[in-house]
Amino acid sequence: MVEHQTARLDGIFHALSDATRREMLHTLSQHERSVGELAAPFRMSLAAASKHIKVLERAGLVRRNVQGRTHMCRLAPEPLSAVQEWLRFYERFWTDRLDALDALLQTEPPPPVRKKGSPR
Amino acid sequence: MSAQPPVRVRVVRQFSASPERVFDAWLDPHWIGRWMFGPGVRDEEVLRIVNDARVGGTFSFLVRRKTQEIDHVGTYLAIDRPHHLVFTWAIEKETAELSRVTIDIVPRGTGCELTLTHEVDPKWAEYAGRTEAGWTTMLGALARAFDAPGTA
Repeated sequence: MVEHQTARLDGIFHALSDATRREMLHTLSQHERSVGELAAPFRMSLAAASKHIKVLERAGLVRRNVQGRTHMCRLAPEPLSAVQEWLRFYERFWTDRLDALDALLQTEPPPPVRKKGSPR
Repeated sequence: MSAQPPVRVRVVRQFSASPERVFDAWLDPHWIGRWMFGPGVRDEEVLRIVNDARVGGTFSFLVRRKTQEIDHVGTYLAIDRPHHLVFTWAIEKETAELSRVTIDIVPRGTGCELTLTHEVDPKWAEYAGRTEAGWTTMLGALARAFDAPGTA
């Protein structure tokens, strides 16, 4: 389950781990942009911008639409559901274990540490 | 520093046992091997539970599921018995998922209430400080975008 998720999450987290790519996603969260528009704020070449966009595409966070000579990019937030599944997995992980801890604490009497308790 | 951690799971649980007993169950290897791991909670065999229960000390909880050995490793960041415990948490070899677990225990009558917070920041070490705020903002923005209807 976690194992199955790992590769996908790696891709998403890798995509998000770069400030330039985060900024690009933020820009795209407003509306779609061309590759040139995404590159502009960073004073980077179209080739460099394209590399970043490819990482985002691989993670499934951006979709590219070719309209004539213009490549339009838009945000595709759906893969973030993998992050949500990750969260659900851990919620269950801890809930199950806290159940087990509660059950164990209830079946085991507390250790005799009271001040007036007799030894052993 | 942003108030909200990047990605977070929170679980709250009431116990009839005292804060001390609940707290100690997190650090005593004998207890860890009975409730956190092993056949009591899932189909797995506990191979080794070792820990150095002091701030900066590490732990390794090794289990076998079917043919796979899984080592849960981490470092204790704060130990304040019986109220507060913080440790990092990772599956060895899956270093992309660095995470941090915080346990807060408050007395409730004769028992206590435990709040567990599991935060993941995949680039915890690498991006701590300088870019954490940016990361947090980004994930927050994306989460909102994801939650918004009609974004397909």
